[in-house]
Amino acid sequence: MDTTIDVKAFAPSGATNGYRDIHRKIKYESELNKGFKNRVAELSHGEKLYSCIQCGTCSAACPVSHYMDYTPRKIIQMVREGFKSEVLSSSTVWLCASCYACTQECPKGIKITDVMYALKREAISGGIYPKRFPSAVLAGSFFKQVLSFGRNSEGPLLLKMYMKTNPLMLFKNMKLGFKLWKTGRLSLKTEKTCKKGDLKKLLSDIDKQREEVTL
Amino acid sequence: MFSTNGNNTPRIGFYVCHCGHNIASLVDVEEVRKYVATLPGVVVSRDYKYMCSDPGQELIQQDIKENKLNRIVVASCSPLLHEHTFRVATEKAGLNPYFFHMVNIRENVSWVLDNREIATEKSKDLARAAIRRVFFHKPLEKKTVPINPAVLIVGGGIAGIQAALTIANAGKKVYLVERDATIGGHMAMFDKTFPTLDCAACILTPKMSAVKSHPNITLWTYSEVEKIDGFVGDYHVKVKRKPRYVIEDLCVGCMDCIEACIYKEAKYPDEFNQGLSKRKPIYIPFPQATPMVVLFDPETCIDFKSHRCKKTCIEACDRDAIDLKQVATYENINVGTVILSTGFQTYDAKLSPQYGYGKFPNVYTSLEVERLVNASGPTGGEVITRDGKRPKSVGIIHCVGSRDEKSHKWCSRVCCMYSLKLAHLIKEHTGAEVYNFYIDMRTPGKGYEEFYDKLMNEGVHFVRGRVAEVTDWAIIPEEEQKLTIRVEDTLIGVVRRIPVDMVVLAVGMEPKDDASEIRRLFNISCSNEGFFLERHPKLAPVNTFTDGIFIAGACQGPRDIPDTVAQAGAAAAECLSLISAGSIELEPNTASIIEKYCSGCKSCIPLCPYTAISFKEDIKKAYINEALCKGCGTCVAACPSGSILQNLFEDDQIFSEIDGLLKFAGIEPEKKEVLHA
Repeated sequence: MDTTIDVKAFAPSGATNGYRDIHRKIKYESELNKGFKNRVAELSHGEKLYSCIQCGTCSAACPVSHYMDYTPRKIIQMVREGFKSEVLSSSTVWLCASCYACTQECPKGIKITDVMYALKREAISGGIYPKRFPSAVLAGSFFKQVLSFGRNSEGPLLLKMYMKTNPLMLFKNMKLGFKLWKTGRLSLKTEKTCKKGDLKKLLSDIDKQREEVTL
Repeated sequence: MFSTNGNNTPRIGFYVCHCGHNIASLVDVEEVRKYVATLPGVVVSRDYKYMCSDPGQELIQQDIKENKLNRIVVASCSPLLHEHTFRVATEKAGLNPYFFHMVNIRENVSWVLDNREIATEKSKDLARAAIRRVFFHKPLEKKTVPINPAVLIVGGGIAGIQAALTIANAGKKVYLVERDATIGGHMAMFDKTFPTLDCAACILTPKMSAVKSHPNITLWTYSEVEKIDGFVGDYHVKVKRKPRYVIEDLCVGCMDCIEACIYKEAKYPDEFNQGLSKRKPIYIPFPQATPMVVLFDPETCIDFKSHRCKKTCIEACDRDAIDLKQVATYENINVGTVILSTGFQTYDAKLSPQYGYGKFPNVYTSLEVERLVNASGPTGGEVITRDGKRPKSVGIIHCVGSRDEKSHKWCSRVCCMYSLKLAHLIKEHTGAEVYNFYIDMRTPGKGYEEFYDKLMNEGVHFVRGRVAEVTDWAIIPEEEQKLTIRVEDTLIGVVRRIPVDMVVLAVGMEPKDDASEIRRLFNISCSNEGFFLERHPKLAPVNTFTDGIFIAGACQGPRDIPDTVAQAGAAAAECLSLISAGSIELEPNTASIIEKYCSGCKSCIPLCPYTAISFKEDIKKAYINEALCKGCGTCVAACPSGSILQNLFEDDQIFSEIDGLLKFAGIEPEKKEVLHA
């Protein structure tokens, strides 16, 4: 429903600098997803998020909230009110460093970090996450690597992340990488477990069990 | 040299208090003590750490006995705090307590100054003024008046009911006067009570019938206090009993007359159901009305208008209880104390036109919704909008007529909680999406925050923002046939348009329209907003500035049922305390007329805020009723012939105090005496 007004049309001829597009920001109820809060509450075993009193302790405790487009408090309110697309495309969930400060401080016992994880999963499964955002890519690659090899190998993980996000950074950090490799701190070898399929089987069994429980 | 008003030469004892560090840290108390010792008439001058402590008081008593002191001056804190303490101590030592005088060197000196030298000087000045003043003090006697043990309670809501039952159970006579045809007040209209969700009627009606059947309670409904005069312990009250055109003692509430009314269909808006249902010209306010007596509405009854009705109601009544010629009667009673529990009214939502009350049929006030969700309400408990639909979404707008400079500045205190309750009930009855639009959520009370948490977990939406408008103008198809609420969700930071089927306005509490007339009738004060004013907001919350008149419930300010009941209990206890004492002591700082000089000009009479002055027609002189006089001194200042005297504030007392205070008078005691003489 967002309409963008081309303000340049109203601007004096030639003067386009300083005129930003004006967006209509009003929110209609029909644009909201009413079932979203229940879905998130189930995922994060976080039915407690209904109890949020919007005190803002989470945002104040968060060490990275000042980089986020929506603070954790706002995210909770938006989840409750059904602002699904805004929440899933926000940088907040990907900036979350999982330090658990918010969960520790929350006066209502809401597991905010778990909510953030739930939102990450929702975003990935819905395919609406920022594709080249480092932490999102790192999380995705890490998960894929562990799932297929049973172990995490830092060297290949880093390579993958840089290639997907910003290959230039690879050259920039090459000197440091070389030093780390020389002192044995970084390996380019891919580590594996003996029975690398076991983890996959374990996780799928858990998923199956969880589905049975929810059914 | 000095007039001492008696045979005894003044022998003054002066005591300056350190008050821990409160005074001594800024005032050089030793210097004050030494200085006062040099003043004429002072026999003893001491300083002590805490004069109000037992040893401090004993010090005074001992000195009175040993040094034969006959005047006491204490320089310490405010007389409001300890004047009584020291007067009692003085009296215990055998001296008339009004020979004691107090100087405030804490609130007036050490707490407000920051220079030690100035503070000490000011303390000396004040002490000197007091020393000069007590020369002219006279012994005064407290007057006692007996207390009539009967109590008048005005207003039969939950506050009046609770107070009446408490006093009646203590064995005292109560007159309960209610303006409406039934007691119960607003509480009787409510469906459930927060946060426990007890049914309001289930907890109220037993109390209502207890009032009706209590041998110590005389219940006069459909009555108003016409006139009251007298004073604490002895009020004379005239009560007007409005005609209900039905003889109360004969009617048993069988309602045959209502059935027989020539109006087959009920036609007129029912006040109790907030106009959501209809009643006949002869009716009973609601099924549990107390007393269970029908009444006529002369405005709508045909016979009152045209005198040509067949009067089928009279035929139907086999007890001959209907008397269409009934007129108002008057009862005169004497009581000792009065409790005012006249309650509140809700804000008129039409005064906030942006919410469309009265314009859109599906905009309701909270009181209407209380009736709507009630099982004995107009729809039998079904939440159905005025256009006959069951709402799928409901918006509850908080703070309508509260926290708004355009209507009322105050927070009405109960709206957040009753909005939560209504949200719960509406959700329970209809399963609708319920939105609460609030500015701040205020849930201070036992179990209240927990109730808020419960509502959040029930999935009720809480949108923080004050609604700008309710409109039927649809922008998108989903808003067609709906009322759209436009609000900023300040927690998210976007403006939202929310279409709903029903809007509930959480209207605030305001003083009754005629609160100021009641105030004048009972000679009490109102605060700025128009609620009755308590004597002290913390320490005398049910007392008024008129002795023997107490206030309880929402007539004093917005409050919920638990607080109202607690306050009613407190007011009842205050009455019982006076009754139990049997008599009351009056402060003797009253004014009196010197008849010899009074010219009968009557200029003092309208000035008295306590209506204590009357005019004796036979001798053409003014007369002051000492029981009513509060010693404010207005008449004393106004009297053109100087013929009014006020105890403790007589001319020589005040002038010598001023003399003592003025700098020139005290620089050297010897010189001062010359000047004064």
